[in-house]
Amino acid sequence: MDRRALLASMLAIRAFEDALAAHSDAGFQLYSSGEEAVAVGVCEALRPVDQLLSSGRSIGPALARGLDPGVVMAELLGRADGPCKGKGGRGHLAQPGAGFFGAHAVVGGNLTIAAGVALAMRMQRAGGIVACIFGDGACGSGALHETMNIAALWKLPLLLVCDDNGWSISTPREAALAARSPADLAAPFGIRAASVDGMDVLAVRDAAAALVAHVRGGAGPAFLVCDAERFSSHSTATRELRSPAAMDAVRARCPIQRLLRTLRDAGALDDAAFAAMERDAGEAAARALAFAERSPPTGVDEIGRDVD
Amino acid sequence: MIYALAVPGPIEDVEELRVLQWHGEPGTRFEAGELVVELETHKAVVEVRAARPGVLRAILCPAGDWQAVGRTLALIGDDADEPLPAPDAAGAPFEVAFEVT
Amino acid sequence: MSTEGAGKVFFAEAIARALRESMERDPRVVILGQDVGRFGGAYREFAGLHARFGDERVRDMPVAEASMVGVGVGAAAAGLRPLVSITYMDFVTLGLDPLVNYGAKLRYKTGGQLAAPVVVKTTAGAKGQGVAHSQSLEAWLVGVAGLKVVAPSTPSDAYGLMLAALAEDGPVVYVDHKRLFPTAGELAHAPAPVPIGRALVRRSGGDVTIATHSYMCRVADAAADRLSAEGIDCEIVDLRTLWPLDVATVAASVARTGALLTLEEGQLACGIGAEVAFRVREEVGRMRVSRLGAARAPVSGNPRLEAATLPRADDVVAAVRRLIDAKANEP
Repeated sequence: MDRRALLASMLAIRAFEDALAAHSDAGFQLYSSGEEAVAVGVCEALRPVDQLLSSGRSIGPALARGLDPGVVMAELLGRADGPCKGKGGRGHLAQPGAGFFGAHAVVGGNLTIAAGVALAMRMQRAGGIVACIFGDGACGSGALHETMNIAALWKLPLLLVCDDNGWSISTPREAALAARSPADLAAPFGIRAASVDGMDVLAVRDAAAALVAHVRGGAGPAFLVCDAERFSSHSTATRELRSPAAMDAVRARCPIQRLLRTLRDAGALDDAAFAAMERDAGEAAARALAFAERSPPTGVDEIGRDVD
Repeated sequence: MIYALAVPGPIEDVEELRVLQWHGEPGTRFEAGELVVELETHKAVVEVRAARPGVLRAILCPAGDWQAVGRTLALIGDDADEPLPAPDAAGAPFEVAFEVT
Repeated sequence: MSTEGAGKVFFAEAIARALRESMERDPRVVILGQDVGRFGGAYREFAGLHARFGDERVRDMPVAEASMVGVGVGAAAAGLRPLVSITYMDFVTLGLDPLVNYGAKLRYKTGGQLAAPVVVKTTAGAKGQGVAHSQSLEAWLVGVAGLKVVAPSTPSDAYGLMLAALAEDGPVVYVDHKRLFPTAGELAHAPAPVPIGRALVRRSGGDVTIATHSYMCRVADAAADRLSAEGIDCEIVDLRTLWPLDVATVAASVARTGALLTLEEGQLACGIGAEVAFRVREEVGRMRVSRLGAARAPVSGNPRLEAATLPRADDVVAAVRRLIDAKANEP
């Protein structure tokens, strides 16, 4: 994907979330705005045969992976045309056929699962790797320790991606993790790690590509820490704790503006072209919303299906 | 005299065992300390050794058969020729030493 | 240990045989857990499997049940058919997040796109090992939509339910019991899967129905022997599957006997017996019913305390006599 395409991918996520946030039925959501570069940069290194897992902050990862925005919106709005028939919602969004094994809303709950998926893919000689995006909030969990341990012992084809936005809802990372950096957690297991500016999609892309090559080569797992910022509060049910001044500093790191500046400085994109890209993203988001609104709400008869 | 070689015990946690292997056949003479038969429990092998000399006269539970602790596995005699009693005639017990491995 | 052909086998041998046959037929079946490899399992229930199938398919894991279950569930979701061995049921607690919050929910939450055909095999029951190595927690799992729970009481059913569990397309918890491993029983010449969701009348009798499972079937049987000498004939229904429960078989029995005793080693509060009793009552209407289970206390490893905390044959005999007396005194 060229740099314009990376920019378009981030714009698509931003516009999608703007459209969703403005919708009266949006419900309980966790937004990826601000953190788009993490998912977009990582997905750039993945192939169709690979599988991506994420936390409950799934919109960025799902769209970056290439899922159709219309069906994603349908899932988020509880409609029958969502890939999970509207039964999973954002917290459990999944489309394994498109390489998105799925989101899981339990903090750290997808980590050992991802190791299992990696084991199966290797044993079945599927040829793919597994990437699992999780937040820094999961770094204090035993699940991460156990996942790194088994992935290292068995040399599993697993890329662990810590989307480190510095917060576990209201607790800053420094109060939640004794290690200086999440990347420090990998060393005891002999896992190759890298830390990168998670607001610079090109840096994320390059770091992810290097680690994915390591993993794909059969050398075992890798750990990528992306220093990122979320533009919203933790969720639509959580109030913002950061001051307006702090938020100004956060937004100044916008990954979209960052790449735009890089492209503009290189003469590869002008304001008019960017404005057109923004319009396209807005229109695509509007189409996704329209598709979702036309989709019938999930019928209550679905309660009895897919249980056993 | 004809003696009854029984499944030794008590063995903790064990009620019945399977005969794994006889280390002799009718006519084989065992000295004290020699391995006569191995039995299997659910988790171990029991080595049954003669505590004194004797001749194996009849195997009542061949390999693969099951038997409970205290029940007869075989008839042992002082010599090879003495006529065997009727099957249900009780014999004095043949002393053994056993080890759970 | 020899296992092939018909005949009598130890409980663990029946499990090993079912696994060996399943692993030979289906390369997707793998075993994950503690001491499952060269050691052959804490009860020798995996004996011979590592030698036959190697490190790839029989994998020892660190003592970390959350990752044992999580890796098993994830691998199942991605196409394998793992058996995860949790040596003590007490420690299934450590694996409840991946089992309950992911594995049991996976088919539903993905709208049918994914499912986790994993068998979590775990050993329940008290046998002198103390408060944290003695529990029977199967009743907890029966309340999780998306999980099936089975509990064999004989080698034949240990074999048959293992085959059936491995063939299921979703998660199954297979609960055996420490005190069943020393037991032996007949395996048919051409043994077959035992259908999940089907109870079995182990012993016929017209005076009282005892609905029970796992090791308690043997306690019930010992009690029934003593009661038959008094002229009281017990019908023992071995539930075999705890979810989905075969209410019809128990109800048909109670419709004839008019009296139901539920018997379990676990706690009575929200236990298997509570579910069985209520569901059977919905089917048959009025009946005499009583439940027996552990005393409401942790199960100490102290032998005197342990024995007195759990239901014994004496307790079953007394409970049946009370039920019979109550039946006799009904207007």
